Amino acid sequence: MSEPAATVSLTVHLGVLSLLSFGGIPTVLPDLRDFVVATNGWVSDRDFANFFAVVQSVPGPNMILMMSFIGWKVGGLAGAIACALATFGPSCTVVFVIHGLWDRFRAAPWQRIVRRGLAPVTIGLVIAGGIAMAGASTTGWPTLVVTAAAMALVLGTRLSPLWALIAGGAFGALDLL
Amino acid sequence: MGRSALEENKVGHSSDGVTDDALIMRPAGLLSVFGAFLNIGLCGFGGGLVWAHRVVVGRRRWLSEQEFAELLSLAQFMPGPNIASLTVCIGARLRGLPGALVALAGFIVIPWMIGFGLGVLLLRHADNVVLANTLTGVSAAAAGLMIGTGLRLLLPHRTRPIALMFAALALALAVFAKWPLLAVLLALTPLSIATAAYQGGRAP
Repeated sequence: MSEPAATVSLTVHLGVLSLLSFGGIPTVLPDLRDFVVATNGWVSDRDFANFFAVVQSVPGPNMILMMSFIGWKVGGLAGAIACALATFGPSCTVVFVIHGLWDRFRAAPWQRIVRRGLAPVTIGLVIAGGIAMAGASTTGWPTLVVTAAAMALVLGTRLSPLWALIAGGAFGALDLL
Repeated sequence: MGRSALEENKVGHSSDGVTDDALIMRPAGLLSVFGAFLNIGLCGFGGGLVWAHRVVVGRRRWLSEQEFAELLSLAQFMPGPNIASLTVCIGARLRGLPGALVALAGFIVIPWMIGFGLGVLLLRHADNVVLANTLTGVSAAAAGLMIGTGLRLLLPHRTRPIALMFAALALALAVFAKWPLLAVLLALTPLSIATAAYQGGRAP
């Protein structure tokens, strides 16, 4: 189903969603799923879930890759590239402008207060993201041990996080998880 | 990460990154910004946040912990992929528009090609058990790295019980109540900022 009209329609839709995705791309995933699975039937539910799983386990910008796989299914390589650009192009332009405004008032007393207030909530959400990922990837206590060991590595050592990823992958490959 | 314990302590105890900038900021050349974000993109399994923190704060010392957390807050609120937004903010903070463009190019172009190629391969061999098990192990480790990075970001706030409480509340709403990120931000940040304002008014 690689018709140009479908690719254009998907790209435009992604560009708009990207601009509306305050809080990050995951906030618009349900809407996107409706559009590509239910409304247009471009990808199956299973494809959608597979894409999501795969982009968590390859390096690179994962939400941009997720959109690229949907684009690839609809319009081949050109579709993949168009969808990647639509995912970050418009939003990054907006982000640059907002950052400029924010930066201009860095020394303002109100901004120091806002910064102090924002940080804890932001950090809580990062930890929550890690816990959600651990929940999604766990297959029992051995995976939880891997997760805990990786956490300890970041907190207690200066070793590269790559070692945790390699060790985790190796345990998995040896069927120990 | 060559930071001494003493220096880390100094950074850790400040309430705000502004005063510490001179201590730890290192000048950033455009080429090294590109290289740093290429590194972050290539290693960024399960999102680049862990590596962005390690490279930008730890190894290159371009930003303090507080500045990193500040830009992360900004990126979380804004539309688009959070890590791409963070990349633009860090690039812009370091070198303005050229910095933002170079950081984004480093973070996306080559890592996208590799990630896309690997992904296509994985999707073709989705039924391979060894491959699937390997990926399970990698994502379990990636999850731990992310939790550890979050806890490290929390360290500078350890002397403020109210900050720890808001972090715990955000975590609970996201994990247990399963609220979307934006809902948590909109519900908690007004309270959290109001508390900071109240405390700021009383603090010496």
